[in-house]
Amino acid sequence: MLEIRNVHKAFGSNQVLKGVNLKVNKGDIIVILGPSGSGKTTFLRTINFLEKADKGTIDFDDIHTELHSASNKTINRIRKKTAFVFQNYNLFANKTALENVTEGLIVARKVPKEEAIKCAKDALDKVGLSERYDYYPSQLSGGQQQRVGIARAIAVNPDVLLFDEPTSALDPELIGEVLSVMKKLAKEGATMIVVTHEMSFAQEVASRVVFMDGGVVVEEGTAKQIFTAPKEKRTEQFLRRIVRDYDYVI
Amino acid sequence: MTINTEFMIQTFFDVLAGIPVTLELTFITLLLSFPIAFFMALQKLEKKKVSGKIVSGYVSFVRGTPVVLQILFLYSLLPTILNYLIKEILKLEFDIFSINPMIYAFVVFSLNTVAVLTEVFRSALLTVEHGQLEAALAIGLNKCQAYVRIIIPQAIVSALPNLCNATINLMKSTSLAFMMTVKDITAIAKVNAAFGYNYIEAYLVISVIYIILCTLVQLGYVAVERYFSSYKRFSTN
Repeated sequence: MLEIRNVHKAFGSNQVLKGVNLKVNKGDIIVILGPSGSGKTTFLRTINFLEKADKGTIDFDDIHTELHSASNKTINRIRKKTAFVFQNYNLFANKTALENVTEGLIVARKVPKEEAIKCAKDALDKVGLSERYDYYPSQLSGGQQQRVGIARAIAVNPDVLLFDEPTSALDPELIGEVLSVMKKLAKEGATMIVVTHEMSFAQEVASRVVFMDGGVVVEEGTAKQIFTAPKEKRTEQFLRRIVRDYDYVI
Repeated sequence: MTINTEFMIQTFFDVLAGIPVTLELTFITLLLSFPIAFFMALQKLEKKKVSGKIVSGYVSFVRGTPVVLQILFLYSLLPTILNYLIKEILKLEFDIFSINPMIYAFVVFSLNTVAVLTEVFRSALLTVEHGQLEAALAIGLNKCQAYVRIIIPQAIVSALPNLCNATINLMKSTSLAFMMTVKDITAIAKVNAAFGYNYIEAYLVISVIYIILCTLVQLGYVAVERYFSSYKRFSTN
């Protein structure tokens, strides 16, 4: 369904991505792990052109394009097939929770207003915010804001959901509510690419785990393979540092 | 020395005729400057190398010279040069000195206000986190829609206090229009005062009028600010 090949990206003289490949099938839950600075967020952002890659290609259903020379029309088509959940939510501060969700439907996809509102309410209900339709982002807690962010993403019924460290900006006690929403989506068959540091999420729901370091994919496999029998030394080192009781997992 | 109250009352009513001119100078200048300044602010923000540099150069030139000097250049020097060009080089029958001085006033004040507003808009646009623009693009809005629906409504709110300042400063500097023979509040007062040397009285009268006008502008901005920031009103944190 989605295949990205040979992605290169440099910020100035800093080569962040050095040829990353990723293939995504419908229903895949792909978790990208890696130390900070490994380029995982940058890679995720090149998929929907929030970051323009220097080199690489993308195949998305019938769309095929070079990443660095895609036309605005192609970019917009790909953006409409994907949805992005940001680390710091990035909700529209001048819109209510409901308006945040309807915006992409009414303005970008020309869905009739009533239908859009119904869609948006369904999405907000799904993330457990049926009591908060008319609240502004500033009136919501971090966890609630991120759940609005997720509702905004799922309301447009995207082919792929992209999550960029969705729980990293949250208080520990609020992480659970966001993760459980994400797990629910995974169970319902959504296709997701998730950059995260939540190892439990990776172990529980990932259909594939990708470990990135230094701008390349070091290792890729099922959650079980990566967590119990990593082939690469760098993967093992990373897991040892991050997973507290890693030794017991083996 | 006695204050001539009869003169003051007379001048007050004479000067009222100048209020439309002052308001016209202020608000038409603002209207002319708004779109240009907004476009220039975007040039600076989008890090377009050449146009951004030109805008920066322009802004620092205008901010670095007094308005009086700009008026002297534009109103005294420019017509003379243009006249020479038209008469001697192009050989055209056009009297440059017959142009309504209001036009010169609009040009000078707009050149100035554009520079001020460019900075106002730039700082206002910067107050909206870049992430919201990204989020808007990510859900499929194009850049224009993202600016109109998400960024600008929020930027306006933070721009309003500075816009109010700029408007008041502009209104006060239109009093320099008398140098260009425009008959605004100040010009009328000066003419009246010159008959019997009642300058103090005339200046007192127009001070009151300027204070009233500026207060009205401020009240107007307070109302607009309240309207636009409704999304912040219930803020809990």
